Amino acid sequence: MPQSRSPYSMRPPVMSVRVEDSMDIMIVRDTVRRAAGLLGFLPAYRAQLASAAATLAELVLNTGEAHTIHLNGVANGIKTGLQISAETPWLAGVSVNNVLTALRSKLGDLVDEIMLEGDDVPTIIMIMWLSDTRERVHDS
Amino acid sequence: MALEVLLVEDSKTQAAQIKETLESVGLRVRVAYDGPDGLREAIANPPSLIILDVKLPSMDGFQVCRRLKRNPATQDIPIIMLTEKAGPKATMSGLRAGADDYIPKDIFASEHLITTLQELGILE
Repeated sequence: MPQSRSPYSMRPPVMSVRVEDSMDIMIVRDTVRRAAGLLGFLPAYRAQLASAAATLAELVLNTGEAHTIHLNGVANGIKTGLQISAETPWLAGVSVNNVLTALRSKLGDLVDEIMLEGDDVPTIIMIMWLSDTRERVHDS
Repeated sequence: MALEVLLVEDSKTQAAQIKETLESVGLRVRVAYDGPDGLREAIANPPSLIILDVKLPSMDGFQVCRRLKRNPATQDIPIIMLTEKAGPKATMSGLRAGADDYIPKDIFASEHLITTLQELGILE
């Protein structure tokens, strides 16, 4: 199975879902909610992340390709977040700006960052960072 | 006494299924079958939680959610929206209307509902 990549340092949780048909998109939603819950995201933000991941999975599935959606915790200094990514080899050679414009128009409201990384095998990466307003308050 | 949930769902079959799930974890459930009825019920006798279908006759779930969140008597009641449509636009519309969660009606819906109820402190 291909490995996930990220411009940030990776941390648990590390999960992946193989997407071969539309039923798997439900599993993507469920898995993203679990991963986001482990990181402490409030339910509303889990819903946003689940919608972003499902939309990415649908977009890729519409190309007729089975693929893997990777979910990773990521850290940038003291910030932590959830990264959702998928390799998209058919985008090799396509204008990065055009791809990012299309993705941001569809998914920009749902996540904080959308990137296309890698030349040979481009990988779509989406990240939502945890913040005080997005994080569940833990009882201590 | 068990906490009370107001379920606003126009499909009697789906309402019965969701009611059964909620009652199985010890909650009491009142059902309203359209938006205006749901609003009246919520304002007249505020529940601990509102579960709101998006597609409703007369007034859709987004409108109901916005009105509940604008009303001081109901603005603090957690609202979970249930939907057939869970694309990016619909999800953001639900969350911007003030919903605390937005759950697609899929095979994991009951599980997510229970998890969210725990997160919101409705269930232990």
